[in-house]
Amino acid sequence: MNTLLTLSDNLRTFWDYTGMANASGGHIAMILVGLFFIYLAIKKEYEPLLLIPIGFGILIGNIPFNEAAGLQVGIYEEGSVLNILYQGVVKGWYPPLIFMGIGAMTDFSSLIANPKLFLIGAACQFGIFGAYVAALMWGFAPNEAGSIGIIGGADGPTAIFLTSKLAPQLLGAVAISAYSYMALVPVIQPPFMRLLTTKKERVIRMKAPRVVSQTEKILFPVIGLLLTTFLVPSGLPLLGMLFFGNLLKESGVTRRLAETARGPLIDTITILLGLTVGASTQATTFLRPESLKIFIIGAFSFVVATCAGILFVKFFNLFLKHDNKINPLIGNSGVSAVPDSARISQIVGLEYDNTNYLLMHAMGPNVAGVIGSAVAAGIMLGFLY
Amino acid sequence: MNKLKQLLFLSALILLVSCAKKVENPHWIINEVMVDNQTGFMDNFGQRNGWIEIFNNTYKTQDLGGRYLTDDPNNPKKYPIPRGDVLTRIPPRQHALFWADNEPFNGTFHLSFKLDPDKDNYIALYENDGKTLLDEIIIPAGLPADKTYGYANDGVKYDQNGKQMATHLERVTPSSNNAILEENPKVVSLQENDPVGVTITITSMLVVFLGLILLYVIFKTIGNTAKNISHKRVASAGTLSAVRGESLLTGEVLAAISAAIHELNQDAHDIESTILTISEVKRKYSPWSSKLYTLRQDPRR
Repeated sequence: MNTLLTLSDNLRTFWDYTGMANASGGHIAMILVGLFFIYLAIKKEYEPLLLIPIGFGILIGNIPFNEAAGLQVGIYEEGSVLNILYQGVVKGWYPPLIFMGIGAMTDFSSLIANPKLFLIGAACQFGIFGAYVAALMWGFAPNEAGSIGIIGGADGPTAIFLTSKLAPQLLGAVAISAYSYMALVPVIQPPFMRLLTTKKERVIRMKAPRVVSQTEKILFPVIGLLLTTFLVPSGLPLLGMLFFGNLLKESGVTRRLAETARGPLIDTITILLGLTVGASTQATTFLRPESLKIFIIGAFSFVVATCAGILFVKFFNLFLKHDNKINPLIGNSGVSAVPDSARISQIVGLEYDNTNYLLMHAMGPNVAGVIGSAVAAGIMLGFLY
Repeated sequence: MNKLKQLLFLSALILLVSCAKKVENPHWIINEVMVDNQTGFMDNFGQRNGWIEIFNNTYKTQDLGGRYLTDDPNNPKKYPIPRGDVLTRIPPRQHALFWADNEPFNGTFHLSFKLDPDKDNYIALYENDGKTLLDEIIIPAGLPADKTYGYANDGVKYDQNGKQMATHLERVTPSSNNAILEENPKVVSLQENDPVGVTITITSMLVVFLGLILLYVIFKTIGNTAKNISHKRVASAGTLSAVRGESLLTGEVLAAISAAIHELNQDAHDIESTILTISEVKRKYSPWSSKLYTLRQDPRR
């Protein structure tokens, strides 16, 4: 009889530790979200390099377990493996490393050849501050609003970096929101691009960019760093690493380092970042009304950024000579989802003139958007930290 | 337009060159001092004595061990803070409390001097060399019993004009912050003064535009300079690559022109022979690339 009782106790204890016993509706909902992300990545090929790690991370983070047992398996349990990997997000050192890789793989030639495209990148930052205002009006504190606003920068590493400093409690929601909308750029942007432009504007042909010398390419990261970080020193971790990576690429004498930065290093960090950000959406801490609000404001910020870029180009064109006008379809690419938003400019442009290739022009505002969003993040950090 | 560019370029230069002169707060600060302790905080021996609070005014852990505290300007090495005590490693923006009880053998934090409430008390902290002054303060005579003198905001010794901010403190806070921060003051201020976020939006967008406009102006200038240099090079060299560098024609058009010139020079024909030659590519044998060594053998069944 005693043996039976012990056996039944053991089985009950075992049951208490299983995922089935600890599962809640929230866990199941988040697992479905994770599966949806994986579906989008594989079937629709929306940002698979991000959505696969994030989607699978969501599955990992939402396997229910007995949190009271102190098993050190959850991402929020100090000392667990996932928690150790998550420190790169919490302490904000993954994003600068990713920025170094972005710098090492980005060719700024189109921007150097046509520097007025810098201004489109600046205009798109209205998305960040539009979302900031919206978040304030929806009852978030200024530091939280700053973290939510940065979703409009369409720059995952920047969003994670800033949120880890200003409002770590919102990290999961902000990161998931930023990466989700970056993946959904092909869905979000085209309707507004068509809505805000005329047929005549969509077929504007831009002058081919001039050839940029090696010296100019080398000067760009050096001057870019000095200028932007003197203006906004709080953007140093992101801007410093971005321009450093770019110098590795353009110097011509550090090919191995550049290849590591834009290859194995950025891949490793992307895997760790995506997986841990996904895992940080543990239902018990992630599923809150604020998360839904953040998702709504995030979508709004992308729309504002896209519209601001397009409208700015239209406004700018009023001051440009006839043969020097900018096609407003590249206005959306100031949203710094590199290179997706530039690709959208190309695709939509080709729909109206199948010989008008806008990609090389759109890459200018696209990379200017990266610099602009890092500067904006630095400003937010200065004002709110 | 040119004048505007020059103006913007000049502003950029001024921005980069101008460095605001600002008096910096020391990395270690004698943050709060009690001279006459009648009813206040007691040490581990149950004694009440005057105390000196040192504040690590940096964002890194610093070790006080090996440095010197003194109340005598002519004797900077009066109390050497013992090395090797883990307790002297002070975390960022944290404090260490020293008892001015003239009982140095009571432990690391017990000084070899006392403070005198009837006269001005000079207190200084010196670097490990005993010569470099890290911070000093003079506590005016007549400081009431159980009251402290120091800085209202931890680590803030000078105001923006470089004036010393030492004062009689309202609250006695040994080993804790002189100013208790319940909330982020920047956030509180924004909540009060900019509840909708319009001001911060305008300011931030101005800064973003300013930064990128400066980059635009600089690279526009560099681009123009590069073009001018290229023009001169073309004039002196007259080569095709130089023409390519400064031409407004697209790469494709230039490639077509180059190919045509090349064909003309080589006297090549438009209709080529249709003989296709396939050459065998030979690779030198290496055991490193041998399939024999690098592939697994099928398991025997």
